[in-house]
Amino acid sequence: MPSIEGSQVRKLVIACDAGMGSSVLMANQLKKRLKDNGVVIEHSPIDAIPVDADVVLTHTKLADRTRAHAGDRPVVAFRDFVGDPAVDGVVAAIHGGTTIDG
Amino acid sequence: MADLGGLLDPSRIRLDGRAADRTEAVRQAGELLVAAGAVDPSYVESMLEREDSVSTYMGEGVAIPHGTAGGKAAVRSDAMTVVRYPAGVDWGNGTAHVVIGIAAVGEGHLPVLAALAEVLMDPERAERLRVSTEVDDVLELLTAPVED
Repeated sequence: MPSIEGSQVRKLVIACDAGMGSSVLMANQLKKRLKDNGVVIEHSPIDAIPVDADVVLTHTKLADRTRAHAGDRPVVAFRDFVGDPAVDGVVAAIHGGTTIDG
Repeated sequence: MADLGGLLDPSRIRLDGRAADRTEAVRQAGELLVAAGAVDPSYVESMLEREDSVSTYMGEGVAIPHGTAGGKAAVRSDAMTVVRYPAGVDWGNGTAHVVIGIAAVGEGHLPVLAALAEVLMDPERAERLRVSTEVDDVLELLTAPVED
Protein backbone atom coordinates (compact mmCIF):
# COMPACT_ATOMS: atom_id res chain seq x y z
CA MET A 1 0.00 0.00 0.00
CA PRO A 2 1.49 3.41 -0.98
CA SER A 3 2.18 5.86 1.80
CA ILE A 4 3.74 9.28 2.29
CA GLU A 5 4.90 11.35 5.22
CA GLY A 6 2.58 14.29 5.91
CA SER A 7 5.56 16.65 5.88
CA GLN A 8 6.40 15.58 2.28
CA VAL A 9 2.98 16.48 0.84
CA ARG A 10 3.26 19.41 -1.57
CA LYS A 11 0.16 18.79 -3.68
CA LEU A 12 -3.10 17.17 -2.65
CA VAL A 13 -5.62 16.32 -5.38
CA ILE A 14 -9.31 15.54 -5.04
CA ALA A 15 -10.27 13.15 -7.83
CA CYS A 16 -13.87 13.34 -8.99
CA ASP A 17 -16.23 13.09 -11.91
CA ALA A 18 -17.57 16.46 -13.03
CA GLY A 19 -15.49 18.83 -10.90
CA MET A 20 -18.52 21.07 -10.74
CA GLY A 21 -19.68 20.98 -7.14
CA SER A 22 -18.75 18.73 -4.26
CA SER A 23 -15.04 18.33 -5.02
CA VAL A 24 -14.69 22.07 -5.59
CA LEU A 25 -16.35 22.79 -2.26
CA MET A 26 -14.09 20.28 -0.52
CA ALA A 27 -11.01 21.82 -2.16
CA ASN A 28 -12.04 25.22 -0.79
CA GLN A 29 -12.32 23.84 2.72
CA LEU A 30 -8.97 22.03 2.54
CA LYS A 31 -7.25 25.19 1.24
CA LYS A 32 -8.44 26.92 4.35
CA ARG A 33 -7.40 24.13 6.69
CA LEU A 34 -3.97 23.64 5.10
CA LYS A 35 -3.31 27.33 4.43
CA ASP A 36 -0.27 27.44 6.72
CA ASN A 37 1.31 24.25 5.37
CA GLY A 38 2.00 25.46 1.83
CA VAL A 39 0.11 22.52 0.31
CA VAL A 40 -1.39 23.09 -3.14
CA ILE A 41 -4.97 21.78 -3.35
CA GLU A 42 -6.49 20.90 -6.72
CA HIS A 43 -9.31 18.80 -8.08
CA SER A 44 -9.07 16.71 -11.23
CA PRO A 45 -10.91 14.07 -13.22
CA ILE A 46 -10.07 10.53 -12.12
CA ASP A 47 -8.25 9.78 -15.37
CA ALA A 48 -6.21 12.99 -15.35
CA ILE A 49 -4.58 13.11 -11.90
CA PRO A 50 -1.65 15.55 -12.10
CA VAL A 51 1.74 13.78 -12.22
CA ASP A 52 3.01 15.87 -9.31
CA ALA A 53 0.14 14.97 -6.96
CA ASP A 54 1.53 13.52 -3.72
CA VAL A 55 -1.73 12.25 -2.25
CA VAL A 56 -5.17 11.73 -3.79
CA LEU A 57 -8.53 11.95 -2.04
CA THR A 58 -11.67 10.47 -3.56
CA HIS A 59 -15.12 9.21 -2.65
CA THR A 60 -15.24 5.55 -1.56
CA LYS A 61 -17.43 4.70 -4.56
CA LEU A 62 -14.76 6.03 -6.92
CA ALA A 63 -11.78 4.61 -5.04
CA ASP A 64 -11.12 1.56 -7.24
CA ARG A 65 -11.19 3.62 -10.43
CA THR A 66 -9.01 6.27 -8.83
CA ARG A 67 -6.41 3.74 -7.60
CA ALA A 68 -6.15 2.38 -11.13
CA HIS A 69 -5.01 5.84 -12.28
CA ALA A 70 -3.03 6.95 -9.23
CA GLY A 71 0.04 4.74 -9.72
CA ASP A 72 2.19 4.72 -6.60
CA ARG A 73 0.46 7.69 -4.94
CA PRO A 74 -1.61 6.98 -1.83
CA VAL A 75 -5.38 7.22 -2.40
CA VAL A 76 -7.46 8.07 0.67
CA ALA A 77 -11.17 7.34 0.33
CA PHE A 78 -13.92 9.27 2.12
CA ARG A 79 -17.71 8.91 2.43
CA ASP A 80 -18.66 12.47 3.35
CA PHE A 81 -17.42 15.58 1.62
CA VAL A 82 -17.57 17.51 4.87
CA GLY A 83 -16.45 16.20 8.26
CA ASP A 84 -15.16 12.80 7.17
CA PRO A 85 -12.69 11.19 9.63
CA ALA A 86 -10.47 9.96 6.77
CA VAL A 87 -10.05 13.51 5.50
CA ASP A 88 -9.52 14.81 9.03
CA GLY A 89 -6.79 12.17 9.35
CA VAL A 90 -4.98 13.46 6.25
CA VAL A 91 -5.17 17.04 7.53
CA ALA A 92 -3.85 15.94 10.92
CA ALA A 93 -1.00 13.99 9.30
CA ILE A 94 0.04 17.01 7.24
CA HIS A 95 -0.13 19.26 10.31
CA GLY A 96 1.68 16.76 12.50
CA GLY A 97 4.11 15.23 10.00
CA THR A 98 2.85 11.68 10.46
CA THR A 99 2.36 8.98 7.81
CA ILE A 100 -0.57 8.91 5.35
CA ASP A 101 -1.43 5.42 4.14
CA GLY A 102 -3.55 4.88 1.09
CA MET B 1 -22.11 41.64 -2.14
CA ALA B 2 -20.24 40.22 -5.10
CA ASP B 3 -21.60 40.77 -8.62
CA LEU B 4 -22.73 37.39 -9.84
CA GLY B 5 -23.82 38.41 -13.33
CA GLY B 6 -27.18 36.68 -13.06
CA LEU B 7 -25.70 33.40 -11.83
CA LEU B 8 -27.86 33.32 -8.71
CA ASP B 9 -30.94 35.25 -9.74
CA PRO B 10 -33.46 35.89 -6.94
CA SER B 11 -36.14 34.30 -9.15
CA ARG B 12 -34.33 30.97 -8.67
CA ILE B 13 -34.30 31.23 -4.88
CA ARG B 14 -37.33 29.55 -3.27
CA LEU B 15 -37.70 29.43 0.49
CA ASP B 16 -40.88 27.37 0.82
CA GLY B 17 -40.08 24.21 -1.11
CA ARG B 18 -41.75 20.85 -0.59
CA ALA B 19 -40.56 17.55 -1.98
CA ALA B 20 -41.51 13.98 -1.09
CA ASP B 21 -38.02 12.66 -1.68
CA ARG B 22 -34.56 13.36 -3.03
CA THR B 23 -35.52 12.57 -6.62
CA GLU B 24 -38.33 15.13 -6.55
CA ALA B 25 -36.05 17.78 -5.02
CA VAL B 26 -33.35 17.18 -7.65
CA ARG B 27 -36.00 17.42 -10.40
CA GLN B 28 -37.23 20.72 -8.93
CA ALA B 29 -33.69 22.14 -8.98
CA GLY B 30 -33.22 20.85 -12.52
CA GLU B 31 -36.51 22.30 -13.72
CA LEU B 32 -35.58 25.74 -12.36
CA LEU B 33 -32.34 25.50 -14.38
CA VAL B 34 -34.29 24.43 -17.48
CA ALA B 35 -36.80 27.27 -17.01
CA ALA B 36 -33.89 29.72 -16.76
CA GLY B 37 -32.60 28.52 -20.12
CA ALA B 38 -29.32 27.47 -18.50
CA VAL B 39 -29.55 23.78 -19.40
CA ASP B 40 -31.27 21.41 -21.81
CA PRO B 41 -33.85 19.09 -20.20
CA SER B 42 -31.46 16.12 -20.46
CA TYR B 43 -29.32 17.75 -17.77
CA VAL B 44 -31.94 16.82 -15.16
CA GLU B 45 -31.36 13.13 -15.89
CA SER B 46 -27.63 13.68 -15.53
CA MET B 47 -28.25 15.25 -12.09
CA LEU B 48 -30.24 12.19 -11.01
CA GLU B 49 -27.55 9.88 -12.36
CA ARG B 50 -24.93 11.69 -10.29
CA GLU B 51 -27.01 11.36 -7.08
CA ASP B 52 -27.34 7.63 -7.74
CA SER B 53 -23.57 7.21 -7.98
CA VAL B 54 -22.34 9.65 -5.31
CA SER B 55 -24.64 11.75 -3.13
CA THR B 56 -24.15 15.51 -3.23
CA TYR B 57 -25.28 15.92 0.39
CA MET B 58 -22.52 18.05 1.94
CA GLY B 59 -23.48 18.11 5.62
CA GLU B 60 -25.12 20.85 7.74
CA GLY B 61 -28.41 20.22 5.93
CA VAL B 62 -27.11 21.27 2.51
CA ALA B 63 -27.09 19.30 -0.77
CA ILE B 64 -25.64 20.63 -4.03
CA PRO B 65 -27.06 18.52 -6.90
CA HIS B 66 -25.33 18.89 -10.26
CA GLY B 67 -24.75 16.83 -13.38
CA THR B 68 -22.04 14.36 -14.33
CA ALA B 69 -19.04 15.14 -16.54
CA GLY B 70 -21.11 13.71 -19.40
CA GLY B 71 -23.95 16.08 -18.55
CA LYS B 72 -21.85 19.19 -19.16
CA ALA B 73 -22.75 19.14 -22.87
CA ALA B 74 -26.32 20.01 -21.83
CA VAL B 75 -25.23 23.19 -20.00
CA ARG B 76 -25.77 26.41 -21.95
CA SER B 77 -24.72 28.88 -19.26
CA ASP B 78 -23.56 28.80 -15.64
CA ALA B 79 -26.48 29.08 -13.23
CA MET B 80 -27.45 28.13 -9.70
CA THR B 81 -30.71 27.61 -7.85
CA VAL B 82 -31.55 27.56 -4.15
CA VAL B 83 -34.61 25.84 -2.73
CA ARG B 84 -35.17 25.71 1.00
CA TYR B 85 -37.24 22.80 2.34
CA PRO B 86 -38.49 23.74 5.82
CA ALA B 87 -39.64 20.14 6.42
CA GLY B 88 -36.38 18.69 5.09
CA VAL B 89 -35.77 16.07 2.41
CA ASP B 90 -34.28 12.67 3.21
CA TRP B 91 -31.07 12.57 1.15
CA GLY B 92 -29.97 9.12 2.25
CA ASN B 93 -26.82 10.21 4.09
CA GLY B 94 -28.49 13.21 5.73
CA THR B 95 -31.55 15.46 5.69
CA ALA B 96 -31.33 18.38 3.28
CA HIS B 97 -32.99 21.66 4.21
CA VAL B 98 -31.25 23.69 1.54
CA VAL B 99 -30.76 22.34 -1.98
CA ILE B 100 -28.43 24.28 -4.22
CA GLY B 101 -28.62 23.20 -7.86
CA ILE B 102 -25.58 23.85 -10.04
CA ALA B 103 -25.06 23.99 -13.79
CA ALA B 104 -21.59 25.04 -14.81
CA VAL B 105 -19.13 24.76 -17.64
CA GLY B 106 -17.16 27.84 -16.64
CA GLU B 107 -15.91 29.21 -13.37
CA GLY B 108 -18.66 31.71 -12.64
CA HIS B 109 -20.03 29.65 -9.78
CA LEU B 110 -16.73 29.19 -7.96
CA PRO B 111 -17.08 32.26 -5.70
CA VAL B 112 -20.46 30.96 -4.51
CA LEU B 113 -19.00 27.52 -3.78
CA ALA B 114 -16.14 29.18 -1.88
CA ALA B 115 -18.64 31.18 0.19
CA LEU B 116 -20.73 28.04 0.78
CA ALA B 117 -17.63 26.08 1.85
CA GLU B 118 -17.06 28.66 4.59
CA VAL B 119 -20.71 28.68 5.65
CA LEU B 120 -20.54 24.90 6.09
CA MET B 121 -17.49 25.24 8.36
CA ASP B 122 -19.34 27.74 10.56
CA PRO B 123 -22.26 26.09 12.40
CA GLU B 124 -23.84 29.45 13.23
CA ARG B 125 -23.96 30.65 9.60
CA ALA B 126 -25.00 27.19 8.40
CA GLU B 127 -27.96 27.43 10.79
CA ARG B 128 -28.80 30.89 9.40
CA LEU B 129 -28.84 29.44 5.89
CA ARG B 130 -31.14 26.58 6.96
CA VAL B 131 -33.69 28.78 8.70
CA SER B 132 -33.54 31.83 6.42
CA THR B 133 -36.90 33.27 5.41
CA GLU B 134 -35.49 36.16 3.36
CA VAL B 135 -33.98 35.87 -0.12
CA ASP B 136 -31.56 38.67 0.75
CA ASP B 137 -30.19 36.67 3.71
CA VAL B 138 -29.52 33.70 1.46
CA LEU B 139 -27.84 35.92 -1.13
CA GLU B 140 -25.72 37.57 1.53
CA LEU B 141 -24.52 34.22 2.91
CA LEU B 142 -23.75 32.80 -0.52
CA THR B 143 -22.00 35.84 -1.93
CA ALA B 144 -19.83 36.74 1.06
CA PRO B 145 -16.31 37.50 -0.15
CA VAL B 146 -13.79 34.79 0.71
CA GLU B 147 -10.14 35.47 1.43
CA ASP B 148 -7.79 33.33 -0.58
